[in-house]
Amino acid sequence: MKSILDLRFVIGSFFGIIGGMLMVYGLSSGEMAAKTINSWCGGGFFIFGTLMILLSIKRQQKENVSD
Amino acid sequence: MHLKLQLIDYSIIIIYFMFVVGIGIMLKRRIKTSNDFLMSNKNIPLWITSLAFISANLGAQEVLGMAASGAKYGLYTAHYYWLGAVLAMVFLGVFMMPFYYGSKARSVPEYLKLRFDEKTRTFNALTFACMTVFSSGVSLYALALLMETILGWDFSLSIWLAAGIVLVYIFLGGLTSAVYNEVLQFFLIVLGIAPLVYLGFIQVGGIEGIMHNVDNAKLHLWKGMGSATTNPMGVDAFSMVFGLGFVLAFGYWCTDFLVVQRAMISHNLNAARRTPIIAAFPKIFMPLIVILPGILLLALQKQSPGFKLPNQADGQPNYNMTLPLLLSNLYPSGILGVGVTALIASFMSGMAGNVTAFNTVWTFDIYQAHIRKNASEKHYLFVGKATTFVGILLSIATAYVARGFNSIMDLLQLVFGFVNAPLFATFFLGMFWKKTTSNGAFWGLIAGTGAAALTHGLTVAEGKGGWIANVHTYSSGTSHAFNIAAIAFVFCFIFTVMISLVTQPKPEEELKGLVYSLTPREKDMAKVWYKNPLWLGIILLVITLIFNIILY
Repeated sequence: MKSILDLRFVIGSFFGIIGGMLMVYGLSSGEMAAKTINSWCGGGFFIFGTLMILLSIKRQQKENVSD
Repeated sequence: MHLKLQLIDYSIIIIYFMFVVGIGIMLKRRIKTSNDFLMSNKNIPLWITSLAFISANLGAQEVLGMAASGAKYGLYTAHYYWLGAVLAMVFLGVFMMPFYYGSKARSVPEYLKLRFDEKTRTFNALTFACMTVFSSGVSLYALALLMETILGWDFSLSIWLAAGIVLVYIFLGGLTSAVYNEVLQFFLIVLGIAPLVYLGFIQVGGIEGIMHNVDNAKLHLWKGMGSATTNPMGVDAFSMVFGLGFVLAFGYWCTDFLVVQRAMISHNLNAARRTPIIAAFPKIFMPLIVILPGILLLALQKQSPGFKLPNQADGQPNYNMTLPLLLSNLYPSGILGVGVTALIASFMSGMAGNVTAFNTVWTFDIYQAHIRKNASEKHYLFVGKATTFVGILLSIATAYVARGFNSIMDLLQLVFGFVNAPLFATFFLGMFWKKTTSNGAFWGLIAGTGAAALTHGLTVAEGKGGWIANVHTYSSGTSHAFNIAAIAFVFCFIFTVMISLVTQPKPEEELKGLVYSLTPREKDMAKVWYKNPLWLGIILLVITLIFNIILY
């Protein structure tokens, strides 16, 4: 529960969700430009979101050890 | 010009709204006292305060306005960052923050009370409170107007929806919620606009395409600044350096509580000092996100008629449509939803920043100081929340007034500009000259404000000003604004010094921790360079200098 309050987790979740949506939308899109731009941007957002969540979890683990 | 949003785009906007409200709900149970609500209990980590510091300024004026300015004036617009922000942010962190934070003041007006007296604080608090509500309302009005123009949304719906969401997340989570949302908004704005810059850059053919298609006069920082008539901005080097780089920049970044508040909620003095300095690192690179799109548009216009800006009623291009035009031409559905959400976020960020600064100043500097001095914590928490509600309602009212009476809004903006222009002289003298007196500060401020109004009444630029007589015509509105600020500063400075010399200063005992020469220097205990504000500041100044030399 504590990690949900971490801003990194919130930002990571937001970009993870948006990134995932863009990737799926891009890959299923018929138009080439939309396919390329959305899937690349979606992938980038997804990776950024995942990194933020990992940072949040790592921070949480560190805090648990110091407690 | 209409952007056609699809289901995916609307879904992204709705998810964003859910997250910003969710942050407020998540933080609600942390709010127990007025200090939690209005000051975040001084418990916010450095990376968050730094990004909130830059994001509080990343409102619509910055995102839409700087892209517009990029298209109108080209690279000269970058002076607002490299000359008009970085130096002042370093100065705030290295020299001024120890007094704001060390004095234990809860707001900038409260520092004025401690350093000078109640009347100087009240003057600053009242003008600041009016200005924040006004700015918040203007931000709301601009959002609704843009949504009406580019998406065909109903004006009132946009106003009530955006205001309602901002109200909910501030009401629930207070300043912490606003700050958390500002950081989310920062990432959204940067990541939502960065692909647009990349796509535009590829389409124009990279740097060579820009050099080939954009008028060379718009691709310099300093060339042609010898005279106001030989550069697109219509500003000479002296007005640029003194008016923007010193008076306006230091006046805004070092004294405006809206941004300074983000540093004051840090968990210790070192973090408070590093907040504006860490924030200045991304600030240096913000022109890539907010100004470059304007320059790219100039190049794209040479390649395709689809990039022509719509005209205003007076037949001039509507530069404010620069970013929406690029979004409409370069973004397909999907990423378009992210781009539009980034625009909405910039408006909401600007509004929330103003409302949180307003509720703090109203509660601490007006209500607690003049209406009810010794009430309970619970009472001030209630007042803080009620003020948030009232602030949002006043913003909505301002937005509707702006729609019906644009000339009143222009006048108000002008008056607030007059009040703001001399402010840095008061703070500078107050912090660095122990003989500055309360009467000197107060009457200096009044004199500076009067000088600003008088200069505006006696000079003209782009058909504005000169309501008393026209003794001088400036080559552009920008130059006019810079020079008015410079004159206001000089008058405030001279009057403050003159009156201080003939009035009684406060006893030195009372000024410890508030004035440079009477405050013991705390040796910076940071063992590593990246925790030392001075070293970080020097690195920033070197980078800024390099940019100025390369892009001369």
